[in-house]
Amino acid sequence: MKFLYEKDLRQMKYNILTSTRHDETVRAIAQHLGVSNAKLRMVLIRRLDMSLLENLGSRWEMGLQHADDGDPLAEELGYELFTRFIPLVDTETMQTIYADTTAMTQDMPFNDAIARGKERIREAVLS
Amino acid sequence: MKKSVDVSIPLGPMHPCWKEPVRLKCETAGERVLKTEMELGYMKKGIERIMRGRPWQEVMFLAERVCGICSVIHNMVFIETMEEISDIAVPPRAAYLRVVVNELDRMASHLIANFSYCYTIEHETLAMYLLNTREIVLDNLERITGSRINTAYMIPGGVRFDLLPEDAAAMLADLVKVEEEMKRYVRIFETGPLIALRSKGIGFMSHEEAIRAHTVGPTARASGVEDSDLRLRHPTYRALGFTQITRTEGDNFARNMVRFQEVFQSIDLIRKCIETLPEGPIRGGGLCKAGETSYAGEAPRGELTYTIKTDEYGRVVDIAIRTPSIMNIEACAHTMIKGATSIADVTSTFISSDPCVACNER
Repeated sequence: MKFLYEKDLRQMKYNILTSTRHDETVRAIAQHLGVSNAKLRMVLIRRLDMSLLENLGSRWEMGLQHADDGDPLAEELGYELFTRFIPLVDTETMQTIYADTTAMTQDMPFNDAIARGKERIREAVLS
Repeated sequence: MKKSVDVSIPLGPMHPCWKEPVRLKCETAGERVLKTEMELGYMKKGIERIMRGRPWQEVMFLAERVCGICSVIHNMVFIETMEEISDIAVPPRAAYLRVVVNELDRMASHLIANFSYCYTIEHETLAMYLLNTREIVLDNLERITGSRINTAYMIPGGVRFDLLPEDAAAMLADLVKVEEEMKRYVRIFETGPLIALRSKGIGFMSHEEAIRAHTVGPTARASGVEDSDLRLRHPTYRALGFTQITRTEGDNFARNMVRFQEVFQSIDLIRKCIETLPEGPIRGGGLCKAGETSYAGEAPRGELTYTIKTDEYGRVVDIAIRTPSIMNIEACAHTMIKGATSIADVTSTFISSDPCVACNER
């Protein structure tokens, strides 16, 4: 539903993401996901609210420190990082991708399976 | 038959309980809050942009104006960052005086935070008592610095004014009064049935959630996050034997209680500083140089970080400020309020995290 008093927040969200510290974070996340900075900014603006965008840097730092400890596959895919720390992929989708990638590691080399898993995460993020 | 409807309830930007404008959009199912979204941008100052290209002598005054409630810590962290860049030493007497002023500011901030909470849950008697006590604290801040809010007390290599013996004696006498009053207020808060009903078990945030959102300050400490007070690493505080206050409940009650306990701790720290105040100069001098660093200090609301790049004349080329409210407000909106069983608890939960929108929108 579109309310009369709803404002278009895209410009303000863009301003948050292009400040010095946030820009560094966006670049780091984009590199991790293998997408362009502009596309990631577009997704972040669409999916996250202003307070989460402001806190993006801290969540990214905490995610790198604490997410997916001890599980190399989850760590490579960013299982918790992109669901609980920075919610870009919904949990069910991530669980499916994780389960499928785990199955793929039985049939093909680990790195190839990871590459396919990451490709699906990229699609989920950009969808 | 009672029906529950799903509605989107916007709170703010102008709300009687908010100190500053912010809009909280709550998606509800009946009384239950399913999701919240926060809309900022009603008081964006662009202060980081204004600071760029200016000499440090101007930026130190601008830094205080990021937040009116915790202006002293903005001054302190900015100056300590400049000192770290330029390798400027602070005389011991000045370092102790900085702690005195910083702790007075912390007391004033915690008192207004708890005032806001009591006012929000409509315990106006306690709210007004707390605001009244805050006046004594601000009077003492004025006694040392000459100003109640934007004090500009700290400068690279020292502080502006010394603490005279008669002022120190008057301050200690005032602190006795504040401590007595605070004991009574804490008793009211701890034992009040209305307060318990509106605070205990409300706005819960677990230890894991607190870490995930990188919450800081009393908000993190109320959820049992250890080693989350930067005063533990500050040399002057370490010399004073500072220890962190932590609670494990993680609810509105705990967040307010941590702030109450920290007021008593601040009183003790000020007393210790005055009793052991070293003799000597209050200004050591020094020249601000070129460099780049990131430095953090413990504000009343938590970790405050300044990342500064300067040129050879001490001009601020680039600056980024990360205030504690950025993390705490976000955690509040997406963790504490989400899942609240009553829409009536949203305002009190939001206020319990001591949100500073001015800090959030530098």
